[in-house]
Amino acid sequence: MGNLPFAIGFVVVVALLAVTHRLWVPALGHGAASTWRIAKITVAEARRRRVVQAVVVLVLLVLLFMNFFSYLNPREQARMIISGGLSAITVFGILLAIFVAAFLIPQELENRTVYAVLSKPVRRFEFVLGKYLGAMIILAVIMTIMTVVLVGVLLVQDHFVPDFDHSVFEPNLDNVIFAAVMSYFAVAVLAAYIVLISTVSSTAMTVIASFLIWAIGSLQSQIHDLAEAAETVFQKWFFTMFYWIMPPLENFDFRHEVSNFMHVSYRAGINAAGEGVLYIIIVLIVASIFFNDRQM
Amino acid sequence: MVSDEIVLQIEGLSKIFRSLFAPTGVKAVDSLSLSVRRGETYSIVGPNGSGKTTTLKIVLGLIFPTSGTASIFGGNVADVSVRERIGFLPEDAYLYDVFTGEELLDFYAGLFGYPARRRKELVDELLSLVGMQANRRVPFRECSKGMRQRLALAQALVNDPELLILDEPTSGLDPAGRHQMTELIFELKRRGKTILLCSHFLAEVEEVCDRVGIMYRGRLVAEGTLAELAGAPTEIVITTSGLAPEGASRVGAHSAVLGIDGDAVRMGQESSDELWSVLDAIREAGARVGEVRRPRPSLQDVFVRAIRQDAGEQDVAEEVH
Repeated sequence: MGNLPFAIGFVVVVALLAVTHRLWVPALGHGAASTWRIAKITVAEARRRRVVQAVVVLVLLVLLFMNFFSYLNPREQARMIISGGLSAITVFGILLAIFVAAFLIPQELENRTVYAVLSKPVRRFEFVLGKYLGAMIILAVIMTIMTVVLVGVLLVQDHFVPDFDHSVFEPNLDNVIFAAVMSYFAVAVLAAYIVLISTVSSTAMTVIASFLIWAIGSLQSQIHDLAEAAETVFQKWFFTMFYWIMPPLENFDFRHEVSNFMHVSYRAGINAAGEGVLYIIIVLIVASIFFNDRQM
Repeated sequence: MVSDEIVLQIEGLSKIFRSLFAPTGVKAVDSLSLSVRRGETYSIVGPNGSGKTTTLKIVLGLIFPTSGTASIFGGNVADVSVRERIGFLPEDAYLYDVFTGEELLDFYAGLFGYPARRRKELVDELLSLVGMQANRRVPFRECSKGMRQRLALAQALVNDPELLILDEPTSGLDPAGRHQMTELIFELKRRGKTILLCSHFLAEVEEVCDRVGIMYRGRLVAEGTLAELAGAPTEIVITTSGLAPEGASRVGAHSAVLGIDGDAVRMGQESSDELWSVLDAIREAGARVGEVRRPRPSLQDVFVRAIRQDAGEQDVAEEVH
C-alpha cells in the first residue's frame, strides 16, 4: 500500500482546494479572482460544448471493453486490464490535452472573444493562466472519471470473477491510482507547452507542434543517450539543450512497472512531479511573456 | 455636459503592419493626433480600411503602436486601474456564444471583482437598460444580430465606465435595430458618459456626435464639430412645382442657376437681386415656388469633400455609405 497515501492525498488536496475556492481565491487578490473566473468559464464552455461528456463516454467504452478478455488466465487478465486501462487514460489524456489546450487561446483570438475580456481589468498573464487552469480542471475531471472506472473494473473483476487471484492485484490497486496521477502530471506538462506554442501560432500549427512535442518528450532517454554519445561539442550542446528544453514525459510513465506488478518507486514519482511543476511554471512564464507582446 | 478635462489623448500615433509579404509594411495609422474631452461624444468616421479599428485597438492596448502614444485619463491603458474606468463594445459583438445574456454579464462583471449580490443587481439593471430582460436566458448564439449588439453594449457597461469606446455599434443592424442602438447611445450621452465612437454610418454619427474626426488612409484628414466641418451654406435651393421641361431649360439658362434636380433649382449665394430674378424666371416659366432654403452640407458631403481633397480628386463614391 506504499503509494496509495500519495495518490489519495493528491486527489484529496485537489478536491479540497476546488471545494474551498470561494474562501481562498479572493484572499489572493483581484488578479487571482480574474484568473479563477477565466478558468471557470473555460470549464463551463467545454461542458456546454459537450467535449467532456463525449470523451468520457468514449473512454468508458474502451475501459469496459477490457472486461471481455475472460479467456486469459487471471494474472494475464489483470495485467491486460491495468496496462490497457492506464494506456487509455494516458493516451486519451494526452490527446484531449492537445485538442483542448491547442484551441484555448487561438480560438479566443480567431473568434475575437478575447477583446471583451482583455479590455477589462485583466492582465494578459492572468488570461493565459486562467485558460491553462481551466484546461487542467477539465482534464482532471476526465482523468479522474477514467481512473475511477478503471479501479471499478478491477474491483468488479476481483469480486465477481471466481478464480481471480486476489494476491495478483490487490497490492497493485494503489499503484494503478499512482500511475494515473503521474499520467495527469504528464498531461499537465504537455498542456503547458501547448499553451506556450498557441500564444505565438495558429490552431493548426499548435496541434502539429503538440504531437511533435509529445513524441520527442516520450523519447527523452534516447535524446540523453545521443548527447552522451555526441562526437562534437556542438552536437553535445545541441542534444543537451534539446534534452532540457523538451518536456520530460517519460519520467511520468509508470505503466510498465504497474501493469507488470514490478516495484514502483514512490520517490521517483515525487521527483518527477516536482520537476513537472517546475517545468509548468517556467513554460507558463515564457507563454505569458510571449502573449504579453502579441498583437491581437 | 462637455468639460475641458482631456479623457483620451492620442499624439503622433502610427502603426505599420509588417509581414513576410510586405517587408516595408502597410501603414494602417499615420501620425494621428486627437483628444476627447470629458462628456463629449467623439466619432471617428472613415471608409473601411481607413485605420479606425486599428486606432481603437491601440487605445485599448490590444495592439501596440509603431510610434506615438495614446493615454486614457492621463495613464497607460496597460494599467489595470485605467481599464477599470473604460468600457468597450467590439465590432460584430464577439462574446462566448454558448452562454446566455445573464451568464455573460455575470462573467464580465466578475472580472471587475464585484461580489455575487452586486453582480446579480448589475445584470438585472443592464438587461433592463438594453431591453433584454425577456431574453435573458437565450444563449448568445441563438440571439438575433440586434440582441447580440445590445448584450455586447451591456457588457461594456458592467463597470459603469466613464469612457465608452464603441466600434461600429450599428454595423449589420436593420433600421429598427440601428434606431434602438442610437437611442441607447443617446441615453448614455444623457448620463454624462464620454463616448468614442467608430463608424462608417454617417447618419448615426450626425445624430449623436459632438465632434467628428474623418480618417482616410490612416490619417486624420478633417476634424471639428459638424457646424465647423460643414462650414457656411454655399448654395440656395428653390423647391418648385409644375416646372415643365421647356420652362426648366429657360430657368437653367439663367446665369445664377447652378443646376436643376427634378423640382429643385440650385443657385449660388448671389445677391438678393439675383435671387428675385431667378424666382421671376421660375414664375414666368409657369411654375410655382414652394420653398427657398440655404442647406448646410451634410456630414456625407463633408466626408466626401474631405477625402476627395486628400485623395487628390479621385473618385471616392464607392467608399462612402
